[in-house]
Amino acid sequence: MQALEPGIVFWILAVVILVSGFLVVTLRNMFHCALCLILCLFAVAGIYVLLEAEFLAAAQVLIYVGAVAILIVFTVMLTSDLASESLIQHNENGTIAFVVCALFAIGVPYLIKNTGVWMPAKGELISDNVGSIGKYLMTDFMLPFELVSVLLLAALIGAIVLARKERS
Amino acid sequence: MEDTILTLITFFPTIGVLLLLMVPKERHDSIKAVALIISFVTMLLSFMLWSMFDPMANGMQLEVNLPWIVSFGIHYHMGIDGISLVLIVMTTILSVLSILSSWRSITKGVKGFFISMLLLETGMLGVFCALDLFMFYVFWEVMLVPMYFLIGVWGGPRRIYAAIKFVLFTMFGSLLMLVAILYILFQYQAFSGEYSFDMIKLLSMPIPYREQLWLFGAFALAFAIKVPLWPFHTWLPDAHVEAPTAGSVILAGVLLKMGTYGFLRICLPMFPDATMTYLPYICVLSLIAIIYGALVAMVQKDVKSLVAFSSVSHMGFVMLGIFALNFQGLQGAVLQMINHGISTGALFLLVGMIYERRHTRMISEFGGLAKVMPFFAAVFMIITLSSIGLPLTNGFVGEFLILLGVFKANSLYGIIATSGVILSACYMLWMYQRVIFGKVTKPENEKLNDLSWREKLIMVPLVLLVFGIGIYPQPLLERIEPAVKQVLQHVSRAQTVRLDERYQIQKVVHQSENPTRAMSGLTQGDEACLR
Amino acid sequence: MEFQLPEYNLRMMLPEIFLFLWALVVFLFDLLSKRRSESAVGYLTLLGLLICGGLLATTGYGRGFGNMFFSEPMALFFKIIFLGSAFMAVGSSFGIIKQKIVNHRGEYFGLILLSTVGMMFLASSQELLSLWIGLELTTIPLFILAAFFKDDKLSVEAGIKYFVFGAFSSALLLYGFSFLYGMSGTTEIVAMKMNLAALFIANGSLGVVPLVAMVMIIAGLGFKLSLPPFHQWAPDVYEGSPTPIAAFLSVGSKAAGLVAFAKIFVNGLWAFWGAEMAPNDWGYLTGILACAAMIYGNVVAIRQTNIKRMLAYSSIAQAGYIMIGMVAVNEWGLEAVAFYVFAYLFANMGAFAIVAIVEDKTGSCQIGTYRGLSQSSPGLAACMAVFLLSLAGIPPLAGFLAKYKVFAAAISLAGQSQDYTWLYWLAGVGLLTTVFALYYYVNIIKQMYFSAEESPYRIKPNAPAVAVVAIGLIGVVLFGIYAEPILQFVKDIPAAAGVIPR
Repeated sequence: MQALEPGIVFWILAVVILVSGFLVVTLRNMFHCALCLILCLFAVAGIYVLLEAEFLAAAQVLIYVGAVAILIVFTVMLTSDLASESLIQHNENGTIAFVVCALFAIGVPYLIKNTGVWMPAKGELISDNVGSIGKYLMTDFMLPFELVSVLLLAALIGAIVLARKERS
Repeated sequence: MEDTILTLITFFPTIGVLLLLMVPKERHDSIKAVALIISFVTMLLSFMLWSMFDPMANGMQLEVNLPWIVSFGIHYHMGIDGISLVLIVMTTILSVLSILSSWRSITKGVKGFFISMLLLETGMLGVFCALDLFMFYVFWEVMLVPMYFLIGVWGGPRRIYAAIKFVLFTMFGSLLMLVAILYILFQYQAFSGEYSFDMIKLLSMPIPYREQLWLFGAFALAFAIKVPLWPFHTWLPDAHVEAPTAGSVILAGVLLKMGTYGFLRICLPMFPDATMTYLPYICVLSLIAIIYGALVAMVQKDVKSLVAFSSVSHMGFVMLGIFALNFQGLQGAVLQMINHGISTGALFLLVGMIYERRHTRMISEFGGLAKVMPFFAAVFMIITLSSIGLPLTNGFVGEFLILLGVFKANSLYGIIATSGVILSACYMLWMYQRVIFGKVTKPENEKLNDLSWREKLIMVPLVLLVFGIGIYPQPLLERIEPAVKQVLQHVSRAQTVRLDERYQIQKVVHQSENPTRAMSGLTQGDEACLR
Repeated sequence: MEFQLPEYNLRMMLPEIFLFLWALVVFLFDLLSKRRSESAVGYLTLLGLLICGGLLATTGYGRGFGNMFFSEPMALFFKIIFLGSAFMAVGSSFGIIKQKIVNHRGEYFGLILLSTVGMMFLASSQELLSLWIGLELTTIPLFILAAFFKDDKLSVEAGIKYFVFGAFSSALLLYGFSFLYGMSGTTEIVAMKMNLAALFIANGSLGVVPLVAMVMIIAGLGFKLSLPPFHQWAPDVYEGSPTPIAAFLSVGSKAAGLVAFAKIFVNGLWAFWGAEMAPNDWGYLTGILACAAMIYGNVVAIRQTNIKRMLAYSSIAQAGYIMIGMVAVNEWGLEAVAFYVFAYLFANMGAFAIVAIVEDKTGSCQIGTYRGLSQSSPGLAACMAVFLLSLAGIPPLAGFLAKYKVFAAAISLAGQSQDYTWLYWLAGVGLLTTVFALYYYVNIIKQMYFSAEESPYRIKPNAPAVAVVAIGLIGVVLFGIYAEPILQFVKDIPAAAGVIPR
């Protein structure tokens, strides 16, 4: 396991994330925004791979790129007039939002790096992390895992209730 | 019977409330009858209490002490001494009379009205019986709601304003009291290791001087608003003028006494050193109240607000009597609390009676009533004289004792207070003259009926009490006496210390305190009285 | 790979499992009855909640799924509150299911049950992850329920608003959790407490990171509890959502937020309370928020003309009072919180039930609608007056005892040490704002009682609504006069939650 020095790949991914993220909130064509979002999410998955978190990377691609982003693309395409329309994506709060985000983006890493006191990791990083996540989900974290299914059920029913066309 | 009588008296009106809830609201006569019977039985019970009370004994009597909310150390603790006894009896009498007086004047929401009256009675009696600070507070607040409804629903044109003002003023004061109660609770816990609200037990705890100042201030503000002491009196004229007759009677007769009772029961015994410190300020405020109330009363055009302001003045007397801190002053103050209840209650009843006939209370609308309503005029005269404090009436005994006490404490205060007596004679007699004497100027007044048998029934007991107490106050005084001495004994814990000697010295005194030492703190005059 | 399965101990979570299954039964019943059953679904739901309550009573203390599920006094007590608020919300829904919700009655009630299941799991969790999922399971059905009147613009707005704020706050919460996890290396609250203490001893300080985590968690939970400045959603959402749901939000969901807060802060980060750990002190932060809630909620409530908005602001203020108890971390504090919520359950659910009854009849939530109600429907007006007076804290009603307990907790702690004297100010603000609160509560009573003309509405509420009002009334009066059993029960909470070193 090599030391976690940011190599060239990291910088490329970081730039991709930032640029595409910025484009998501500035581009005027909604469809283009959605595509940029997909790119951004892909790059985040790349960072996870760099950190040797394969499972997280796979989940990121499956869920965010595969499901959420595609859903967004569908929404954009299926909503009339949204795909072609140019929208102004910002309002008068843009500057404030930018300042807050910038402070947050600089401040939190600074705090983490300089003042944080962290619990030292115990032993080696587990190599088979997909396996061990699976093991945890079936043992220690079984209850939350099961609860999530209830949560999904609730969300499913809710979505149906809200989306269904009513017969009068 | 010994340990249940107080509970019975306090909650008997509540039983009446439950009964009333079952009566259909259209059956006005049954509702009134139930209310009257319940309050009458309560009065009889209070007479029984009077006979069971041992006038010679010291300390609390007829006590009942049961655990209520154990985890807070709250007990259902009731007991009375002479001061509470006379106030309880007065309360039950006034309740009967005010219910009787509402026979005709209340036409809408009859059921609600009498339910409120009976609930109010429970609250008032509970305050006088409670020996547990928490219970005291609960009953204190319980009175608030029915009174709010009495003023707000059955009151005059500005009733809503008056009701809300009344509630907010009182609530503000009582919340401060709640903080003080909580603080005492935790202090006592630190002192003795147990949580307790017991007023008797709390007296054994020495409280540092600085904290006494805070606590006395919080309690005193709550009580001063209720009394009401100048400058906290502004809710009173509004509430009095807008309230229905029965509400005014109870308000003036009993609710104002809660404030002075609170001073006697809590402020003085518990915070003797703070009492000494605050003494001059409260005396000055009382004097201002006496003079201010009288002067403002003099220029009132409305009889009811005149009586309301006269209450401010009279309650100033009571406060002054209490803070004379000697035997005569205190005894006079307690007696005057009763007298004020009787005479002011009676005045409000009389005002209510003419208001029912003429639907106005403006002094200028009347004149020459002596010719059309001779019985009314006669009763009015007696009550007016009692309010002024003429010899042979009850007012005289009380005011005389107060003035005696005040002169002994501080002759300057005495002189100023005496001028208040003279002023009260001025405004009362002037009002009386304009309303009763002279020619009948208004044609509407010519056909007024004199008092009906029901109204006579209301007034006669009051007139009897006026003369009874005026001529032979001994039964009252001898019952008040031990209780007043008790209060003085507690206050005397501080009198051994000079005002300028602060906390350090006082601590020493508390450590070396014993009963004889405490007794020696009494002034010579008091010791003479004790013998 | 070795598998060590945890001891399931499913008996511990029987009530939760039952309620989840019952929710499915409710969904299916509505479908199978071809959506024609009007009140039967509602009664079925009520029955399920009652049975669940019975099961809860027979479940003892213990744990299940390793360290994931704890059944202890605080969990048990709050589960009673959740079930109670769900019961009362369902009971007061019978009017709207007849008039407005025609197609989705089963979903309406089922989602309420699912949300309750979430609250119950949340109350039993002792670990950040399951706590967070419990909280999500609580709120996600509520997003949908808030927007349940799909044709009503206000309701849809309420749903969207609640969703956006809720999602944002959940994200903040999770971010905060990730910091705690990063520092302590565990998500279990008790282990986290130990690890943080060990880190503190080893390093002498923990830097500013705990503060960042705390700020985020307080902000996240602040949304759930509607503490200013995170309260903006509350009035709009209360106004727009179906009234019983607003009631459920104001009691059930708020209580869930409080449990989460108590678990994370009072239990987990207790050590971060007080001066030694400055600036990592959640006490001050929470105190300031509580202060803001009491002042802002009470002052703004005075100016409301819509009773649901007024109750929304009042519930913001009530959250402030509850947080006083939370900040007063001694043997009185947590039990004061528990008792406060208990008293608040009856008074607030009762008041909302009456609002729902009046709304069913008149279609309006304006305070003016209540004018002269005492003459046309005296019983209803009297109950409303009692609920409002209890909310205002007038003895001898339960609300008074609750306020008393909270202030007592603050004052007792303030007296213990110089560091805590600021709690006097907190209690002072609380008492002072109580007078404001009295003003607007009494204003409703004024409308109902002091008006000369009679209200044109003669209201005949349906039976379940009457039952809800009766439960509220009995609770408010009974537990005001004799609360000893409840007080004895809540006494166990702080010690069992590990707050107080016994």
